[in-house]
Amino acid sequence: MKIRTLKLREAHKPSAAYGAANGSSFCSILWDQQARHLVTASSSDSGISIHDALLPSTTPKILRHHRDGVTALALSPNSTCLASGSIDNSVKLYKFPGGEFETNITRFTLPIRALAFNQSGSMLAAAGDDDGIKLINTVDGSIARVLKGHKGSVTGLAFDPMGEYLASIDSMGTVLFWELQSGTILHTLKGVAPNTGLDTSLVNILSWSPDGEMLAVPGLRNDVVMYDRDTAEKVFTLRGDHLLPLCFLSWSPNGKYMATSSLDRQVLIWDVLKKQDIDRQKFEDRICCMAWKPVGNTLAVVDVSGKYGLWESVVPSSMKSPTEDIPQSSKKSNGLLLFEEEGQEPCSSGSLGDNGEDSIGESGPPSRKRIRKRSEFDEDRSTENTIDDYGLLPQRMAPKRAREQLDKGANEELRSTAISVRSKMQEAFQPGVTPVQPGKRRFLCYNMLGTITTMEYDGYSHIEIDFHDTSRGPRVPAMTDHFGFTMACLNENGSVFANPCKGDKNMSTLMYRPFSSWANNSEWYMRFEGEEVKVVALGVHWVAAITSLNYLRIFTDGGLQKHILSLDGPAVTASGSKNRLAVVTHASNCLPSNDQVLEFHVFDIRNGTRPSRGRLPLSPGSHLIWFGFSEEGLLSSYDSKGVLRVYTSQYGGSWLPLFSANKTKKSDENYWVVGLNASKLFCIVCKSPEVFPQVMPKPILTLLDLSSPLASSDLGADVLENEFILNNLHLFQIQKRIEESSSDGRDTTELDDEAFSTEAAQDRCILRLIASCCNSDKLVRATELVKLLTLEKSMKGAIKLVTALKLPNLADRFNNILEERMLNETKDMSEAAGVAVNQGSGLGRNGTSSEVSSEPSCIPSSSTTLSAPHFVKKVVNRGAQKGRSDHNQTAREVQPEAATSGGSAELRTTAAAGNQETSRTSNPFLKSSSNHEGAAKEAMCQRPPSNPFKKSVK
Amino acid sequence: MAGQSGSQLSLFTPDEVEFVAEDELVEIVPNLRMDSLNFICGDYGPFYPQIAIQVPLWLALALKKRGKCTIRPPQWMSIENLTQVLEGERESHAFQTLPFHYVEISRLLFDRARDDIPDVYMVRSLVEDIRDVRFHKVETNLENFTASAVTWKNMAAMEVNIIRAFSGRALQAFYRHENEQAVPDLDRTQDRQPQNLNDRPRRNLRPR
Repeated sequence: MKIRTLKLREAHKPSAAYGAANGSSFCSILWDQQARHLVTASSSDSGISIHDALLPSTTPKILRHHRDGVTALALSPNSTCLASGSIDNSVKLYKFPGGEFETNITRFTLPIRALAFNQSGSMLAAAGDDDGIKLINTVDGSIARVLKGHKGSVTGLAFDPMGEYLASIDSMGTVLFWELQSGTILHTLKGVAPNTGLDTSLVNILSWSPDGEMLAVPGLRNDVVMYDRDTAEKVFTLRGDHLLPLCFLSWSPNGKYMATSSLDRQVLIWDVLKKQDIDRQKFEDRICCMAWKPVGNTLAVVDVSGKYGLWESVVPSSMKSPTEDIPQSSKKSNGLLLFEEEGQEPCSSGSLGDNGEDSIGESGPPSRKRIRKRSEFDEDRSTENTIDDYGLLPQRMAPKRAREQLDKGANEELRSTAISVRSKMQEAFQPGVTPVQPGKRRFLCYNMLGTITTMEYDGYSHIEIDFHDTSRGPRVPAMTDHFGFTMACLNENGSVFANPCKGDKNMSTLMYRPFSSWANNSEWYMRFEGEEVKVVALGVHWVAAITSLNYLRIFTDGGLQKHILSLDGPAVTASGSKNRLAVVTHASNCLPSNDQVLEFHVFDIRNGTRPSRGRLPLSPGSHLIWFGFSEEGLLSSYDSKGVLRVYTSQYGGSWLPLFSANKTKKSDENYWVVGLNASKLFCIVCKSPEVFPQVMPKPILTLLDLSSPLASSDLGADVLENEFILNNLHLFQIQKRIEESSSDGRDTTELDDEAFSTEAAQDRCILRLIASCCNSDKLVRATELVKLLTLEKSMKGAIKLVTALKLPNLADRFNNILEERMLNETKDMSEAAGVAVNQGSGLGRNGTSSEVSSEPSCIPSSSTTLSAPHFVKKVVNRGAQKGRSDHNQTAREVQPEAATSGGSAELRTTAAAGNQETSRTSNPFLKSSSNHEGAAKEAMCQRPPSNPFKKSVK
Repeated sequence: MAGQSGSQLSLFTPDEVEFVAEDELVEIVPNLRMDSLNFICGDYGPFYPQIAIQVPLWLALALKKRGKCTIRPPQWMSIENLTQVLEGERESHAFQTLPFHYVEISRLLFDRARDDIPDVYMVRSLVEDIRDVRFHKVETNLENFTASAVTWKNMAAMEVNIIRAFSGRALQAFYRHENEQAVPDLDRTQDRQPQNLNDRPRRNLRPR
């Protein structure tokens, strides 16, 4: 596209006295209706210049009535009346084109920023830094209405060409649609336009399309956004080569073209229907106002230094002229022909001030030209069909477009693709990210540790990292992001960011930023050519990125490229915790039933192994929306139907559903999952229809109880049954961990304690279940439950319970079970003792593993867990950490002691008595030793008491 | 107004009433991890960042002062609720339901946790309006104060405090008037028998 230069002529001297300090001031330019005059004004000049468009060399007529710079100009539609607003807070009316001062029509307390006439010229809207928009009757100067609602200074006003609405925009980028009849706000679009702040030389403007179907507003991404007239929904955007935010836009008279000027000093001409720019011109200075010539193919421009010029033949001759097919609503013609037909046609907007239109009309008799023009319009009526097509097109397409727009938004938000686009493979997403919302801060990452938030300004973003625990997490300074990161991940040591590629110029980049490092400048960048990062994950001393080529790239902390693996399919998401990385990929295309087919892989980065892999189950018709590790390190997933699943190695590795939003949910709440621990789900509760949280106000985590999707049983004790299942799972996890750490040779004391307290809790739960079983006469079930009890004491409690409930039959059965168990126990104990003799010092470990292996089955033999090996270990532990005076521990000691199991008590006694260091704890057991059983004693005596202490010495 | 002149009339100073109010529970969102705190009044915690928890107001304010938490304004302190209450107060003769310590809680929160309350100016003016209306009501109620009909529901601590001493004395006076014949007035009986020496030590023990 050729770049031409346009010679500009000075109209107003840039002055440093007022306006912006850099000499730029907001200038305005207007054509009159017949294109015979050009009116210019500058916010740094108190004079208004009326130039003769036909004889540009003649000196302009200058109106010096304001005492300060003129910030706003407006010409009534019939070009008989000129209004000007100024920094001196007044709005003045002049006759046009004569320029005789007529009246000070209104005054504000702060500078005026915007003026607009309605289509009939009967009403003038004025607004500025004051908090209200004044609607002024132009005839008598009475104020018809004050519209209050803007929070910042109003910088743009536009009456709808059909006369029903007024649109206004303020410096904070908020657009309001007012209904003129009632003076109420119809729509509020918050923060849709850039926030121009306090720079008065840059103002937000807005403009209705000449047919009134769309409102053009500068968008946040250096684009023009079109909003629907009635619904205020986004219809489409004009996005192109503007590098900086827009400062002005102007529709061509027929609405086919639009001129936009931007801070990057370019003026672009757009074909609105094709959404394409057709021409551009670069200027020396920023163009702050433009006006299309009402007749002819010319654009008048004025820049911030007060120079104006005419851009002739803007639209290439091959295309339709900008003044061809000017849309004619009846109201518009009413406005134009106001003088002749006034009073005959009802003017819907003029209801506030119809009466006095004639006084304005009188001041300038209709010229021949206008009459000629009218006849032109009459001719145009014959071609009205085509016009209507233009007029209706956007309307008809609006809903469809809006939906497309929505869909696009959903795709952008990465998370909920499958909702909007059915039977499509879910796109990659980062757990804990919220979708882009214009003008708002959003989460790039939200986990149990902290948050990473970003907010896009023009062209760059502002990223903040906050830790929930302000006292412990490192303080991380905010950073400016020139890449436009859309993915991030955070842990204690650092944060990783990545952006997708945008066009050919911006390559996908991965950045790692450690929070503390001994070396300076230890953040690093990786660029990917022809490849795009889809998901990032972070663990201890590693960073992982999955790319569009299905490569899993693993980097070290310092940026060393350590491994590159090929994944089986396109990535969906990934999550890291310590040295484990879990990746979800697509296994195949969607099923016809819209079910995603996902696969997960768990990698152990440190050891270079893949401990588990398999299919990732989802609820039918749903998609994955959160994926991560629980605080205990269990892999968990949450799908869009609100089902949380946790991966366990039970049944050879399977996913257990542990939470279902449908069961707990109040109808108007959505849960946005952040994490979970053994018994609670951490989430942010969002009021419907919102599905994700906002950054401000700071969201609060809500704890929800995990609950398996139990069938509603005839027992009526759902809570207990749920607790039973969760406890079982918990026990299983603990045992697995004990197994792991003991095979690693690590100390399992704490895990043992935890296992013990969970067992006790489980017994309590079972006892309550037995009670409810007995109450509802489910005796077989009660017997099964008794067999699951771990502690002897609990079994005795169960027997007491059924005796109290007058079920002697059941009590007998329970007694039999107890006896059987004690028998087994003694048998096991003598075996264990024998083993102990043989194995010597290896007993401790052996004891643990035998306990582990026996517990999952849990039926009669489970009491072995309580007997010899377990307690030997306990005493040993106590010896090892004698100083510990833990509440729990003493409580725990008392509990088994009360259970008058001869075997265990005796064992403890012998063990404790030998251990001189633990004199505190030994006494109670000495006492209890009197009531043990003879058989057990014998078994104990066989056992060499030295074994446990060998271990404690070790 | 009774609210201002209350200091010498009432039994407790406003500060004392405020002190009592500090035991009310409020919800806070801590931004640090901290183990349980064990106090005489109970155990609170453990605290996890970003997870709301109920603590006494004094603890909340102490944490707030150190920048360790944000206080979640109580449910009743929303603009909608307060406007409703204010309307109710203006329309009806009865007192609307508000927490017993609403004056003190709102005062403490406005003073020390203003950044945690959305629309603090609006809320503050609403609470002040409500308080004024209610204090005015208390005063007008006092004008037609009778011993038989003292059933004012939902009075708050501060309001009770204003009239506590007065109403106690007033009731005593009523009682005395009604039983004037049966029980002779103490003062007068004392005046009549000054010569009785046996009464003297006993009289000294009397409060007045």
